[in-house]
Amino acid sequence: MTQAIQSVPLGHYRVKHVVKSEVLKILTLRSTAITVGLTVVAGLLVTGLVANGQLHKFPGYYQGFDPTQNSLVGLIVAGLTGGVFGALLITGEYSSGTIRASVAATPRRPILLTAKIGVAAVAITVFCELLSFAAFFLGQAILSGGGAPSASLGSPGALRAVVMTGVFIALMALMSFGFGLMLRNTAAAIAAFVGIVFVLPLVMHGISEPDLRYVPTNILTNSIMSTVNQGGPGGVLQPLSPGIGLLLMAIYAGIALAIGGALFLRRDA
Amino acid sequence: MITAHSLTKRYGASTAVDNLTFEVPPGLVTGFLGPNGSGKSTTMRMIMGLDYPDSGSTLIGGKPYAELTWPLREVGGLLEAKAFHPARTARNHLRWMALTNDIPLRRVDEVLDQVGLSSVANRRAGKFSLGMGQRLGIAATLLGDPGVLLFDEPVNGLDPEGIRWVRHFLRGLAAEGRTVFVSSHLISEMAMTADRLVVIGRGRLIAETSVSDFVARSGGGTVKLVTPDLAAFTSALTAIGGNVSDGEGGSLTVEGLTSPQIGEVAAQGGLRIYELTPIIASLEDAFMELTQDEVEYRPSTMAGAAAAGAKE
Repeated sequence: MTQAIQSVPLGHYRVKHVVKSEVLKILTLRSTAITVGLTVVAGLLVTGLVANGQLHKFPGYYQGFDPTQNSLVGLIVAGLTGGVFGALLITGEYSSGTIRASVAATPRRPILLTAKIGVAAVAITVFCELLSFAAFFLGQAILSGGGAPSASLGSPGALRAVVMTGVFIALMALMSFGFGLMLRNTAAAIAAFVGIVFVLPLVMHGISEPDLRYVPTNILTNSIMSTVNQGGPGGVLQPLSPGIGLLLMAIYAGIALAIGGALFLRRDA
Repeated sequence: MITAHSLTKRYGASTAVDNLTFEVPPGLVTGFLGPNGSGKSTTMRMIMGLDYPDSGSTLIGGKPYAELTWPLREVGGLLEAKAFHPARTARNHLRWMALTNDIPLRRVDEVLDQVGLSSVANRRAGKFSLGMGQRLGIAATLLGDPGVLLFDEPVNGLDPEGIRWVRHFLRGLAAEGRTVFVSSHLISEMAMTADRLVVIGRGRLIAETSVSDFVARSGGGTVKLVTPDLAAFTSALTAIGGNVSDGEGGSLTVEGLTSPQIGEVAAQGGLRIYELTPIIASLEDAFMELTQDEVEYRPSTMAGAAAAGAKE
């Protein structure tokens, strides 16, 4: 048993202390390994399947073919598992009660929130970038190996598409993190994420002449991953430019994080 | 030192904590006593800065919790049985907590050793029994070697050995000069652990007193006396103001006198004592009496009987 009570040192806890702690938290959870592993496997598996499906077509098929987009489009699946990861990062704390320990350890909630969102954003973005590059190289290897047209990072728009795809999927995961902050429940947060990102567009198809250009999955495939202008004449809507598309997704994620963050600051832990 | 001043917390229409004012001084174990649902946990969460009060305030050593510079080095709190992620190991749970307050990581192994969890430090905490979970929670409170400690129902789910350990442990912390605030709905537990009591019911303060005063206020308690010298004891004890009645199995029940007083009588009169037992149930009676109208949840038949008895 401790004999004398230590006096409290000078200074105070800062964002850097909470950042170290949050990094350790992410690294010491099995759900991290599971969701990250699942994201890699699912993302690259679908990438391989999509690329493989583009091989051995008749020559005319490759008119306007976009090898970059074809190597990245499998990552939409990674957007799904990435969203689950983003939500779990925060809802896991609520379901286990860890959030109370976190708030008690660092009661200035803006500091805690800043560290939490910052660590989540950096970790998710780094991971999504690595995955995006991996998918690109895998896809191109399969395409060129099978004799189909392929691209390199030097091809027009390719590097932009790969980098932006990583950022975009990271933003989707962060939007899900925002839902997690708002709803504090794993099932509810994942349902909200999947509902808005993947189900809502299907529902919108029921509307006559829906404008789907603002839907995350559509921005991702048609604006971010694409390096070929797919807009055409005759009423086909021109996709958003990559920059506008990415900005829009950043706004979506920002709104979810802002609402979730505001509730986190106000509510009882 | 913990202080609560006019603390009030409402959930919709119901008031969980109602204008509560009390003090928890250092160097003593202060018991926080009240029936289930009386607002003990809510009060503790407000002290720890987790819940925001609707009005009033709580201070730790004169400062609101949120303004503490190194909270874990100033306050340790065990507020729920399992406030850790089940997939994380005990050691990693304590390590992330230590990092938030720049506490040296060697403290993690020290506190694990202190609560007897060293051998399972690398096991996932989700696999822990309730008792081991409580020990991990207690280890977490000690990480920063804080001067103020709060424990919400720390003996819940513990076996007798564990209960004894916690009791001894809490007394040890207070003996080192720390402020120890421990809640319980078990008055018998508090009678053995606490020096002072803060008693609440339905969120309102009922009593803030020492344990002995609390007993005295409720009529002094009774002592069970087993002796073959029934008549001699009865007259001698009645003579010094005791109220003696026949108990079960040929024993006497003495009201208004303490065990030492009865022992003195025996020594002076050369009377034989086979057994002398202060009856702790009187403390429970006192508690029941005080909280009679303050219990939020009780069976309707009891409530009906109480209402009929009170002619409300």
